[in-house]
Amino acid sequence: MSAGADVPVIPPPEWRFRRRFHPAALFRELWEARALVWTLAEREIRIRYKQAILGFAWAVVTPLVLMVAFSLFRKAAKIDTGPVPYPLFTFIALIPWTFFSTSVAQGGISLINNVPLLNKVYCPREVFPTASVVVAGIDSLISTSVLGLLFLRYGFMPKPTTIWVPAILPIQIAFTLGVTLVVSAVMVYLRDLRHALPLILQMGLFLTPVAFPLDVVPWQFRHLYVALNPLAAVIDGYRRTVLYGRPPSLSLLTIAAVSSLVALAGGYAAFKRLETGIADVA
Amino acid sequence: MLPRGSISAVHVWKRFHADRRRKLLRDQVQHLSAARLRGGGGRGWRWALRDVDLLAGPGESVGLIGANGSGKSTLLKILTRVMYPHTGKVQVVGRVGALIEVRAGIHPDLTGRENIQLYGTLLGLDRRRIRERFDEIVAFAELDDAIDRQLKFYSSGMQMRLGFAVAAFLEPDILLVDEVLAVGDASFQQRCLERMRAVLNQGTTLVFVSHDLAAVEATCSRGVWLQQGVVQSEGPVRDVVNAYRQSIEAAAESTTEVTGELRLIKAEVSGPGRSTPRTQEALDVQLVVESPAVRSGRLYIGVSEGPATPIFVLRRDLQLGVGETKAHCSIRSLPLPRGRFYLWVGIFEGGKRDPLPWHPARRFEVAGPGLDAAPRGIVRLAPVHVDAAWEVER
Repeated sequence: MSAGADVPVIPPPEWRFRRRFHPAALFRELWEARALVWTLAEREIRIRYKQAILGFAWAVVTPLVLMVAFSLFRKAAKIDTGPVPYPLFTFIALIPWTFFSTSVAQGGISLINNVPLLNKVYCPREVFPTASVVVAGIDSLISTSVLGLLFLRYGFMPKPTTIWVPAILPIQIAFTLGVTLVVSAVMVYLRDLRHALPLILQMGLFLTPVAFPLDVVPWQFRHLYVALNPLAAVIDGYRRTVLYGRPPSLSLLTIAAVSSLVALAGGYAAFKRLETGIADVA
Repeated sequence: MLPRGSISAVHVWKRFHADRRRKLLRDQVQHLSAARLRGGGGRGWRWALRDVDLLAGPGESVGLIGANGSGKSTLLKILTRVMYPHTGKVQVVGRVGALIEVRAGIHPDLTGRENIQLYGTLLGLDRRRIRERFDEIVAFAELDDAIDRQLKFYSSGMQMRLGFAVAAFLEPDILLVDEVLAVGDASFQQRCLERMRAVLNQGTTLVFVSHDLAAVEATCSRGVWLQQGVVQSEGPVRDVVNAYRQSIEAAAESTTEVTGELRLIKAEVSGPGRSTPRTQEALDVQLVVESPAVRSGRLYIGVSEGPATPIFVLRRDLQLGVGETKAHCSIRSLPLPRGRFYLWVGIFEGGKRDPLPWHPARRFEVAGPGLDAAPRGIVRLAPVHVDAAWEVER
């Protein structure tokens, strides 16, 4: 039996605990946690389905209502969409926008909402915001099927250039995930963000070409604009390829891709740094 | 690299904000401006753990004991990687099943079934293996048809049973259990302890936090006693538990304050001829009580091992005169084994205030044989020596 008697008042600084991150180990841990992401996503869906009468319908209600609102407003704004029906023009933008805003809004509070879990069980914490992004993705799939119905309704066919979509989609996902990660981690430390976030997202909707075309932005600012808001290039890309049958603007997409990757890498790094103290403050 | 199931935590320090500020922008701004006024720095920290070492090999069982707020749960949280230490190195190799706070890893809006799924996934098991253990978990937790009910409609005992069953049955390499047995009923506590021993026999490493010293002693082989974040003592569980018990007793003794109308002037315990009390021999208790008035009351004396539950009590109705009254009780054959005991005294009369409140009046040692060791699995062994003789025929 040993007695712990002489303990210094403060620890020697050279013993300071440091988390070391090996990219390979991190990636392996994430890969091993994929089942967890699915379970959490499934859980979120189940809870929503159990508590809300409309359940999955909510996935579609938001973009549909916004579409109708924009269509009414459009008469005054005189937005020229060429041969494309305006509801299609705006709905195809509302899908990535809703994906982004739902991810950030839900993923942003995912850590706070799961504090009881965070305080008890270890898992790579990024699974919580990631699961929210997955759920938003499932919502997007539902919205996309509604888009299909809208195509039928307006007797409009997607153009063959739609094959570009798989190339644009990763940009959308990377940017959304990056932002969601940062917001979720910062939210734990700065609870005010919870109240500010809906407002910020609301403003984001008007700073993103959802109701209007990208052409509204003067071309000399367009590259800067897309670098700051990669979603603009994503939305423009979808419109060009699916609705107008034109190839996307490669320069804009490249800028958006780089910017999204920076957002994802930076967001992930910031998340990992902030994650260490989550259990202390939560 | 350490083998699977090892725990190695060295020089662990952990601190928290002394005042856990709300994390609102308002507070942050105030804090920032205040810090600028003071010229930065000067934050209040409180050390929750100071230079704590905890080592456990595969299959070992360690009991963590200590008063509330001594850092036991913080240490467990660091071992589960829920929290990170300020200083030190922590290595926990293998899958960790942790039961920290009663409803570990459990969501109130999901059914019991979904919770088992979720917790199993959190432990890193795939769905097939969770399904394999599912029936066992439900049977152990005695949930039956409640398994498809939402958890918020469970009683706290049911939630705790489910939590324990999930953590204990999903084959962790390391099981961390924090003060969970407090909620369950006696029979479930017993089964939990049995399950912990079964898990230990399968080679799982166990770290067990409890205030139930008897349970710690019965389950763990090694003990660590934390006091205000420092390891006070560490070693074979019996020694550590005894050292801790003695410190509680000493603290209880020094802090007991007796306020009553009567005063206990003398309380003496002795064996025959003023010798040390011995097992199965006579014991004399001499009491002298001072009273300011003539009155009657009921005199109780009791003997306890720790500061709490008496092993037995004796009662006698009493008439007190003005001044001193002597009472003498003789126990013909003392049914106590070797050890250290407390004599408790109190006088009651059914009024609002007790004339002499129940309090430990004297500590005494008993010489004699120790108790026969209980079979592994029996948790509470009452310190009673029974005079018995065996005869075995064959």
